[in-house]
Amino acid sequence: MTTASLHGFAKARKIYEDRGLRARELKAEGKKIMGYYCSYPPLELITGMDFVPFRVQGSINEAITKADSSIPTIVCPIIRSSLDMAMKGKYDFMEGFVTAHSCDCQEKFCRIWEHELKLPFHHYIDMPHVVRENSFEQFKEKLIMFQKAMEAYTGRALDRERIQQEIRVHNRQRALVRKLYDLRKENPPLLSGAENLEIMIALMCMPIEEGSIMLEEIIQEALSRGNGPGEKDTRLMLWGSPLTETNLIQMIESLNAHVVMDDICVGTRHYWADVEATSDPMDGIVKRYLSEIKCPRTFRESSSTFEEEMESRFGYLKDFARDWHVDGILLQSVKYCDTHGYEVPALKAYFEKIGLPAMYLEHEYTMAAEAQLKNRVEAFLEIIA
Amino acid sequence: MADKEKTKKFINRLKSRNIVRPMVNKMYAEGVTAANEGRPLAWSMVNWWEGDIVMRAMGVTPVYPENYGTVCASTGMAQKYQAICDAEGFPTHLCGYSRNHIGYAAEMKKLGKIPPDAPLGGMAEPTFMLGSGIACDTRFKWFQALRQYYDVPVWTIDTPSYDHTEDIDSDIHEHNIRHKVKELERFIEFLENLLGKKIDMDLVEDYLENQEKVFQLWWEINELRKAKPCPMHSRDFWTLMVPGYYMTYDKDALNLYHQVYEEVKARTDAGIGAVTPEKYRLMFAELPPWHSLDFFEKLAERGWNFVVESQGYHPPEPMSLKTGDSVLERLTRWTYWVNVGHIRKAKEKNYPLFGPVQYYYNWAREYQVDGFITHSLLSCRTATFWLPHAANILKEELLVPSMNMEGDIVDFTVFDPDLVLKNAEAFEESMDYHRGERKRKGLEW
Amino acid sequence: MKGKYFAGIDIGSTMTKVIIYSEGIRGQVIGPTGPEHRHLANIVMEDALAQARIPFEAVDYVVATGYGRINVPFADKQITEISCHARGVLHFFPNAGTVIDIGGQDAKGIKIANNRVVDFVMNDKCAAGTGRFLEVIAETLGVNIKDMGPLSLKARNKVKISSICTIFAEQEVVSQLSEGIPVEDIIAGLHEAIAGRAFRMASKLKIEGDVVFTGGVAKNTGMVKALESHLGRPVYICREPLITGAMGAALLGKELVEKAMESGKAIKIKERKLTTARVF
Repeated sequence: MTTASLHGFAKARKIYEDRGLRARELKAEGKKIMGYYCSYPPLELITGMDFVPFRVQGSINEAITKADSSIPTIVCPIIRSSLDMAMKGKYDFMEGFVTAHSCDCQEKFCRIWEHELKLPFHHYIDMPHVVRENSFEQFKEKLIMFQKAMEAYTGRALDRERIQQEIRVHNRQRALVRKLYDLRKENPPLLSGAENLEIMIALMCMPIEEGSIMLEEIIQEALSRGNGPGEKDTRLMLWGSPLTETNLIQMIESLNAHVVMDDICVGTRHYWADVEATSDPMDGIVKRYLSEIKCPRTFRESSSTFEEEMESRFGYLKDFARDWHVDGILLQSVKYCDTHGYEVPALKAYFEKIGLPAMYLEHEYTMAAEAQLKNRVEAFLEIIA
Repeated sequence: MADKEKTKKFINRLKSRNIVRPMVNKMYAEGVTAANEGRPLAWSMVNWWEGDIVMRAMGVTPVYPENYGTVCASTGMAQKYQAICDAEGFPTHLCGYSRNHIGYAAEMKKLGKIPPDAPLGGMAEPTFMLGSGIACDTRFKWFQALRQYYDVPVWTIDTPSYDHTEDIDSDIHEHNIRHKVKELERFIEFLENLLGKKIDMDLVEDYLENQEKVFQLWWEINELRKAKPCPMHSRDFWTLMVPGYYMTYDKDALNLYHQVYEEVKARTDAGIGAVTPEKYRLMFAELPPWHSLDFFEKLAERGWNFVVESQGYHPPEPMSLKTGDSVLERLTRWTYWVNVGHIRKAKEKNYPLFGPVQYYYNWAREYQVDGFITHSLLSCRTATFWLPHAANILKEELLVPSMNMEGDIVDFTVFDPDLVLKNAEAFEESMDYHRGERKRKGLEW
Repeated sequence: MKGKYFAGIDIGSTMTKVIIYSEGIRGQVIGPTGPEHRHLANIVMEDALAQARIPFEAVDYVVATGYGRINVPFADKQITEISCHARGVLHFFPNAGTVIDIGGQDAKGIKIANNRVVDFVMNDKCAAGTGRFLEVIAETLGVNIKDMGPLSLKARNKVKISSICTIFAEQEVVSQLSEGIPVEDIIAGLHEAIAGRAFRMASKLKIEGDVVFTGGVAKNTGMVKALESHLGRPVYICREPLITGAMGAALLGKELVEKAMESGKAIKIKERKLTTARVF
């Protein structure tokens, strides 16, 4: 079955269930697929070079059988699973792969990927951890290197106008995603958290403009369909490490709660900020990717007091909670994620200060412990009620 | 291991190592004294020398919570501090050193003073904290998180990731150096604002000159260790880590390295090894089981000499400095070079390139090792991440076999020396076999 | 609520507890959950009904809690053991601020403020630090589990147990026995280790108010003592520490019915039958 006859929700569902489906079709048509990891490789540059970007993720449903010979088991299981799937040929449609130094595990895993997979194109984008004036200059240098590497590989130059055009294309998709998120400001929300995640993941596995068309269809469908997710007592926001499947959200939504908002990189973090128009378009890209993505991998200059620092680091979550009428926050992280792990006590303190119930849920990238997680979420919901 | 088993020694340790212990004690005592006298004190991550020299020149006394993790682990206090960290709501999978120190800091905060039972006199409340972008995310997230207990400024000296450009002449290296100089300039500005005084660049240069001499000696010691039999065991290297890591600005460290050099040189000239007979030459990655170091005696008894180790903790290879460099450029070039120099070396020697595990590859050949012992650490992802990959490369490319032992930087119960000893004989068979294979394939050893 | 009956059933991993409540406890039974999870839960319920001398149909509302609460065909509502324990504890100790519960296969801490649960922590991933752990070790030592508490109070030099992992601790205990260490010193060491673990877990809640210790392990006097020494304060124990969950379930059911009646809405009662709980 092809995706050509599918639209809206049905299309998102199909691509979510078979992530490489669209990419394989496109490859058969002669398009070039560029795999990327996490939310940091600038997609504008990738599409500007006529590559179709494809977000590489792991799978909770796939036992890790091959990667353990190259990666220890005490590191991020999502990364282990991603490498495992690649080594098993699940991403064999990709011509190249690009990662950024968003976290330490990624920096390291991409070298193992390079060695094991030997794709025609491979690039690593070094990026600062800190956001300072010189960090922007440094990051720009590294993005220019990325651009040059793709130019050398394809033999085609990427000019300013094309980058500007790509920025418009991606910003349009970002605006549509924000519009989609607005549908969950309603009570009851017009789509479920699980549906939303399916859509986000599908978007990352298909061409941008095609994704935008799908988004428009979905928004129309959601507005006109009668059977939305229905009434529930509690509205939750989900924070944390990446989710590669909807299982966790489905479990939460099988209880008396909606997930109406998120702060994860297969959600708002990936799409929220636009690239600003700047005379050198690369400057806008640099700013957006280095400082506007709110992943805890970034060290933000400390303000004069801890209170102020919390406000500057976490204030956006307060705004999300207010605008989406959130009753409680689920802080979730996969085990072995350092950048999220260190954030938990400070976040809990912050939410306590602003009077929002928050609970930390750690999971091991397996649904084996689902009953235990469910019990905790249920108890949390009883606390909020 | 029980005390009675300790009597017989098979490793010929360096006498000059005895100078180190008082230096370590001095380092910790200095921290507490500085705080008592109202002088600025920093909790600092290991920063590969550049930040230390700047801080010292500004009259700041740094103390190092990572090192304190090993101290608390070896005195048995780490368990208590880690439990406090857990109770504070930090996930239990985080870095063992950080859990120890966060627990320590929370305890000190609660008591309002240094905990009376803190090992080596404890670490006093800091004036500021200095994180680092080198090596792992923990090393800046940890201090960011600690601000919840000590509301003092937290600075991070950032760094490019070094070794992703295997083209050693690429412009990117100069870009990276420029970026690093700016990072140091910003750090100096931060210190000048915080402490209300100007930095004395002459002092920075004095310290740097001392450090360059230390590096030179240290490098030469490493070169001597290529001799067969190897005159210096990894245990002596690990003993020297504190001065080599934290005190290169210090004249005492220079004196120490002089003496170590003389001793190792004399041994080399006389053909004396650290283990006799040297049946097997081993490379060790990365951090050792600090609490069970006597375990290496048992391996020495079998003729295992550990000739090179711990790639993240060695000096940069000597380089000719670009004339016209500013002091800060010179300073940061060394820190940069420590992670890049091995690529140049590989190119010089026409070795194939293996990115992050180049160090191990180069060393395996230069030191002609028979086996690679990897120590995977339950709570240190960074020191563990490359190990299987490195082991694969050495096996495929150089026919050097490896053996892994599981352990942790803080939790002693993970490491089982008996299990490793049980496997030692089988590993010897493997090393013997591969020795023959290497000969057959025409490798140098 | 005169003349109305409320049942609370707490189906734990080993024991099922039932309370029949109507202006006081009318029935209270603790019985085995059964070798197949929840298999015998309905029999415990029948015993409790017999004690209260009412037929099942006379019960106005049934709330199930505990790990076996899902798919209980004779319950009107499921509520987590966190909420039920807290409610039950508040019934017996109105000033409770923190609950530490150590049951057959999990341990939890609950923080209460203004008669509500405000936070909780749980260890439910392994047997370490639970009643199951004590059972395993009791068997290794050849001691009746009921005697562990009194025995441990006779300890002179409690040993240090370095591993709380059930398997490792068992090995450690065997080697200590072979060294001739008195059983009471070993048991005291085990209590110390489990209490320490429970204390550290509960510390995440920033312990405040009266501390109430519940669950099967709270019957062990040695554990009570060890926990008190960690806390530096006395803990409160119910006369029957196993029953708080079921008690809370019955009371929460009663409150739901009251609330529904006040608002004039009839509470939804499912069609229920007192049959064996489905095993999945």
